[in-house]
Order: sequence, then C-alpha cells, then structure tokens
Amino acid sequence: MFASFRQSMAWLHTWFGLVLGFVLMVAFFFGALSVFDREIDRWAIPETRFEPQPMPSFDRVLRPVFERIEPREEELAAARERVGGPLEKNLPLMNWSAYTTHRDPVLTMYAEFAVTNNPDDPADHAHGWVTIDPRNGQVLPDDQLKIGSEFFYPLHYSLHLHWKDLGYWIVGLAALVMLAALVSGVLIHRKLFRELFTFRPWKAVRRGTLDLHNLTGVVALPFHFVFAFTGLVIFASIYLPVGETQLRDRAHAFYEQEAAAKGLAYTPSGQPAPLASVDAMVVEAKRRWATRGMPGEVGWLTVTHVGDSNSYVSIYRAGSDRVALVGQAVHFSGTSGAVIHEEPPPNTASSISEFLTGLHLQHFEHWLLRWFYVFGGLAGCVCIATGFIFFIEKRRRQDASLGSFGLRIVDAFAITTVTGIVVAASSLLLVNRLLPEHLPQRASWEEGAFWCAWLLTFMHAASRSAAHAPTSASRAWREQCAAIAVLAPAAVLANWITTGDHLLATLGRGYWPVAGLDLALLVAGAIAATAAMHLSRRARAAERSANFGTPVAAAEAERA
Amino acid sequence: MSHSSLHVVSRVAAALLGGYAFTWGFTTLGIVLAMAAGAAYGAAQTSVYLLAFLVFLPAFLWAFAARSAGRVWLVLAGGGALMTGLAALFG
Repeated sequence: MFASFRQSMAWLHTWFGLVLGFVLMVAFFFGALSVFDREIDRWAIPETRFEPQPMPSFDRVLRPVFERIEPREEELAAARERVGGPLEKNLPLMNWSAYTTHRDPVLTMYAEFAVTNNPDDPADHAHGWVTIDPRNGQVLPDDQLKIGSEFFYPLHYSLHLHWKDLGYWIVGLAALVMLAALVSGVLIHRKLFRELFTFRPWKAVRRGTLDLHNLTGVVALPFHFVFAFTGLVIFASIYLPVGETQLRDRAHAFYEQEAAAKGLAYTPSGQPAPLASVDAMVVEAKRRWATRGMPGEVGWLTVTHVGDSNSYVSIYRAGSDRVALVGQAVHFSGTSGAVIHEEPPPNTASSISEFLTGLHLQHFEHWLLRWFYVFGGLAGCVCIATGFIFFIEKRRRQDASLGSFGLRIVDAFAITTVTGIVVAASSLLLVNRLLPEHLPQRASWEEGAFWCAWLLTFMHAASRSAAHAPTSASRAWREQCAAIAVLAPAAVLANWITTGDHLLATLGRGYWPVAGLDLALLVAGAIAATAAMHLSRRARAAERSANFGTPVAAAEAERA
Repeated sequence: MSHSSLHVVSRVAAALLGGYAFTWGFTTLGIVLAMAAGAAYGAAQTSVYLLAFLVFLPAFLWAFAARSAGRVWLVLAGGGALMTGLAALFG
C-alpha cells in the first residue's frame, strides 16, 4: 500500500495523529489542569479555602459520620436497573473508607452497601459518600462541583462518557496512538538532531509551526511517552480484563488465597460484633511505619465487613514522600484491634508498577516537579495543536478546491479543541463564581455551562471556517483568542468580587491554591490577547497585499 | 469503495483489531506461562500488564510498515488466536 517504510510511518503519523489528536488535546490539557485538581476545587468552592488537614480521629469524628451515610439515590436507581426490579428495603452495609492527601483540606468518606438480589452478580453493591470538614466533622453541602477533582480530572481519562466505559476506551486508543505518533514521528525525520535545534518563527507560518511541532515533540518526548504509557498501565485491567474473563478462575482463586494467607476474611461471617477503637490501631500503624524508618500520616483507611465478627481495618500510609502510591498497609482485626497482617515490601513487578503509576498520579509532595508536569502537559498540547495547524496550512496551499468540506471540518475541530477548550474551561470557572450560591443542582448547571460553551465554540468555528477565505487562517482562531482574553480575567475578577480573595490578599497570606489559579488565568488571558492581536495584524496585512494581488506580497507582509 | 480505500480500511482494522488480539493472546499466555514457572497470579498479571502495551505498540506500527496486508492479518490475528487458544488449553 505504501511505497516506502517512511511513507507508511508518515501516513500513520498524519492520519491517526489527526483523528485521535482531538482526543489527545482533551487528555493533555485537562491532564495538565488535573495536576492542580485539589487547588482548582478550593478556587471553585470558597468555603473550603483552608489549610490541608491530616486524617481526623476515627472514633470521635469519622465514625458518627460514617454511621449516617446512606446509599446515593442515583446509585440506587442504577442498582434497580441492574437488578431489573425493586431492591431490598435497607441494603446491608459492607465497607467504609476515607481517603486524603497532603493537599486536601476536606475529606471525602465512602460507604458500600450490598445489593443482595442481583442474580447476575452476587458481589453487586451501591455507594454512598459525603464530604466533611475534618476539623469538626461537619458535613459539607455536596451539590457544588469539585471542578478539579470531579470534573477536569475524570474528563482527562474518561471524557465523562461512562456508557460501557466508552470514554476510557477512546482515551486508551488515543494513548496508544500517542505512543505510535512519537515513534513514527522520530522515524520520519532524517535529521532529527539538527531539527531539534531548529526554530524559525520568522519564516513562513508552516515552517515555524513545523519547527515548534518537532521541538515540543522531541524535547518533551520522554514525558509524553511516559504519560501515555503509564496511562495505559493504570487502566490495564479495563483494557485487558483477563482476570474477569478468560483467567477468571485463576484470578479469583488467587485473591481468595491471598486474603486467606493474610488472615483477612474474604466474606462476612454473619455474626454481628462491635468495632474496637480505630484510633488505637492508627497509633499502632504509625508506630510500625516509624520503626521501618518511614514515619508518615494515614492516607487511606478502610473498614471491611463493618459490624461483622469478620470485620477488619486496613490502614495505608500516605505516599507524600515517595513516587509510589499509598502503601505499607497494616491490617487489624475490627473486633479485637490486634494486628492481623503487616504488608511486606512489594515484589519487583509490583514495585515497578507502583513506581510508574505513582509517576503519573503524583501524590508526592514536590511543588516544583508538579509545575514541570503542567508544562510537560502543555508542551504536549502545543505539539498536538501545531500538528493540526501544519496539517491544515499544508493542504490549504496545496489544494485549489480549498473550500473542501473535509478540511473545513478538520479546521473546526482543531479550533474547538485548541482555543475552544480554554474558552469552555474559563467559562466554567466564571459561571462557577456567578451562579447563586444556594442554587439547587448547582453542579449540573456548572457542567451544563461547560458543555454549552464548548459546543458554542464548535458552532462558531464551523460557521467561520465555512466562510473564510482559502488563503488565510480562519477568523475563528483570533475571535476565540479574544474570548479567552475576556473570559479568563473575568473569572479572576468574579472571584475577587464574590469572595474578596483578590491576588494581593491571597499572595499576601501565601494562599497558593487560589493565587496560583488566578495567576494562571491572567497569564492565559495575556497570551490569548497577544495571539489575537498578532493574528489580526497578520490578517490585515494579508488583506492589504491581497489587494495588490500577489501571494508573494502577502508572504512578504507576513514576514515584515 | 475504491481499491486503495479498501486497503486502508484493512490495514487500520489489522492494526487495531489484529493488534488487540495479539496483545490479548500475549497477556493471557504470558500470565499462564509465568504461573507455570512458579509466579503467583498477581505478580504474573502485573508483570505482563507492564509489557502488554510495549507489545501492542510495535504490532500496531508493523501493521502499516509491512509489505503484505495478508501477512499482517495472519501474524497478528492468527498469532493472537493461537496464543489465546494455548492459554485456554493450559489454563
């Protein structure tokens, strides 16, 4: 089909990169924002703007809250659908868990309830959860959207398309294509090393675009490769669910055996029994971590088979000081409080896997590295965006029938995923500050605003690219840049007006979660304004020289 | 459908579906073999998951680089089915 190896790699790079590039933009952009997901939550929910808290006392603070958690209405509705009829009246409680990191002022607590009458899945269950202020155990209203951790973060790996895990599969395919694009991108360049040090922004748009594409692609190549690869490894059990299908018997035998070897009951006994003091267990777990030379805080705490004589409590250490995630679990008997099992250091395969997963999810405490992640993600966005622009510009000049429908669609999608994404994200933040505080279903309104804004940017891009002249870039680029230049500072202003937290105040008291996002919004606005001015200057120059009638003159004007 | 667009569809399908089948076969057979060599299921699955996408990637690239589409289908889909079958046989 292809005349040469290089041609086959170029074809693959161009077409897969284009089609999945739109998805990759979403994964990279919202992935970059997710690096500061907890901080974006603070910006979005002003009453949670206080310092991160350690895991509070279980016995005094968490337990009374856990006992009041009910399964969520939407979870019950989904369970009724799975069962195909009504559920048992009070679903039996199975497990409790609470999870926190060094960046969380608020604590989210989860409970799992057994769905007993699903013939297809005896282990079926429904969830309930609440968010509390760990300083006093007060339950916080939860109809507010945690824009960072519950919206941007899952958008980055699931696209919020949950039907049959479709979003995960699309993003997984995009990650594979990212790997293939990186390899094929290197293979199609003869003089990679020289091109790496080439950047000619003063030359024609196409040349400068391609230079920037190569530069961001190659300089950040290890970053891009590691993130696409570890992203696939993190969800490997979704993409290759062998343990739930072909090798199910082996997998389940292993899990049961593992639980038995640790002395952890796989199933409840059915005999009710009270829960011993979990605070005492936390003290013992911390003592054991300290004797292993790794003193630390509790990151994750679970109670399995709550209220049963087989209940056990697992206490995991927060991984703030290492790349690998939470670990070093100590398991206690729920009834006696005695240690049942202390997890040994992981085997080689698990250490590598935990390291790679931790590298992607970065729970460690290192603010400089965290910013490197943001810039790595944004470099990925630049790489993908310049790929789109190169694709469009190349064909625009080659092809005489430039109004071609295909090219217009590509143009519209590129604009929607490059500038449109930023318009939608800044609109969401702005709307978050403008909606009435106690609006019912506030979270749905905020999500709706995001999707509407994004859809509008697509309609705008599509209508503009239908109309624009074949010789110059669509006006939608500069118009959406102008929109960002207005929306992003407007969000900063709205934050100031509605909360009083202006930049001088937040910077003055060193409150970086809000100051950081405000600054990022202002920088985004400034970059967008510069881009908009640059684009309109160039469009005017092109127009002037078009009156003289020669494309050479246009190119000259562009350079000048 | 023209001759060449049929070729494109065949290559893309071979790269995606064939590549996936090959990776699935590699994963299942890899776990079964690692367990035969004495590894526990958990460690075997973790190790093979780390390798699986590094197998998928060259398979995907090769599907486009190879001269003959027939050979791509044979190796990827056929090899995948063979490995999956062997894993089922020993599993």
